[in-house]
Amino acid sequence: MPGLNEQAYINKVLKKTTKYTKNIIFVDDGSTDSTAIIAQKVIKHVLVHPVNLGKGAALKTGTEYAFKNLNADAVIFMDSDDQHDPKDLGLFKTKLNQDSQVVFGVRSFNKNMPLARILMNRFASFFILLIFGRYIPDIPSGYKALSKKAYEKVVWESRDYTIELELAVKVARHNIPFTTVDIKTVYHDLDRGMTILDVLRMITNIISWRFSI
Amino acid sequence: MSIFQIAATLFALFMMYVVTIHNRKKHISITEYSFWCTTWVMFIIIALFPDLMLGISGALSFSRVFDLLIVIALMILTTIVFTSYMTHKENTKKLEELVRKFAIEKRNEKK
Repeated sequence: MPGLNEQAYINKVLKKTTKYTKNIIFVDDGSTDSTAIIAQKVIKHVLVHPVNLGKGAALKTGTEYAFKNLNADAVIFMDSDDQHDPKDLGLFKTKLNQDSQVVFGVRSFNKNMPLARILMNRFASFFILLIFGRYIPDIPSGYKALSKKAYEKVVWESRDYTIELELAVKVARHNIPFTTVDIKTVYHDLDRGMTILDVLRMITNIISWRFSI
Repeated sequence: MSIFQIAATLFALFMMYVVTIHNRKKHISITEYSFWCTTWVMFIIIALFPDLMLGISGALSFSRVFDLLIVIALMILTTIVFTSYMTHKENTKKLEELVRKFAIEKRNEKK
């Protein structure tokens, strides 16, 4: 669970999540508020980046720590802004126990999700289908799971939110089998959305990865 | 002598002054100082006597010396941009690896 300046939510999110699992790694990505201090009072494994690197880098830190220091077999990624229901963790664990290497959490595109967000979401999935021949739903969703075996194939370079896209591209490119689980759609007013520039960047990245991965 | 030639000469003299200041503050080595002074002196010579480049520009099929200088400047700028890009990329990667190492080591110390 990566987080940046989440002092408003982190205590609530971590306490909710500890009801379903004790194996939580929180990566504070250079917060300037009390996020890390609050997290350290609730859970054991808190890693602190002294400077902000980005979501992708924070997820990589947590993943490396999980696999190398804690001998984990798989990791489940969750956002720390209370947009992911920890009740859904069970769904991911079930799929991982069924030998699924990658599990994508897929939100329902209902009235809870802004139309612009739905369109960009669909566009990303269809563009990857066009370039890589595989349809991966709800790419921007941060709720996903990876086995250790899958991680070795999809180790990402992205430091920021592009990690979601890079993961999907690498799963598609390397033909890694994946499954999906339906997760709750939650939106806050603090939701960090995509802009037109993000869309252009996404297209450029996908095309670039087509030739480099 | 045109106003442009005067402006170019004054600019080059100013840049030599800047290079000298950096040399006095020991920000650059004597080799770097010599290189940059030579570069700016050559800049002044070409600015004041552009006809010296006529032979080269003719051999390279440039109709004007100015066009040749623009192409050379673009090549140098592109090289500098590429070098800066690569340096930035390497430094960002090193920073990420260092921050990650620091975060995990600090957590392990608390165990």
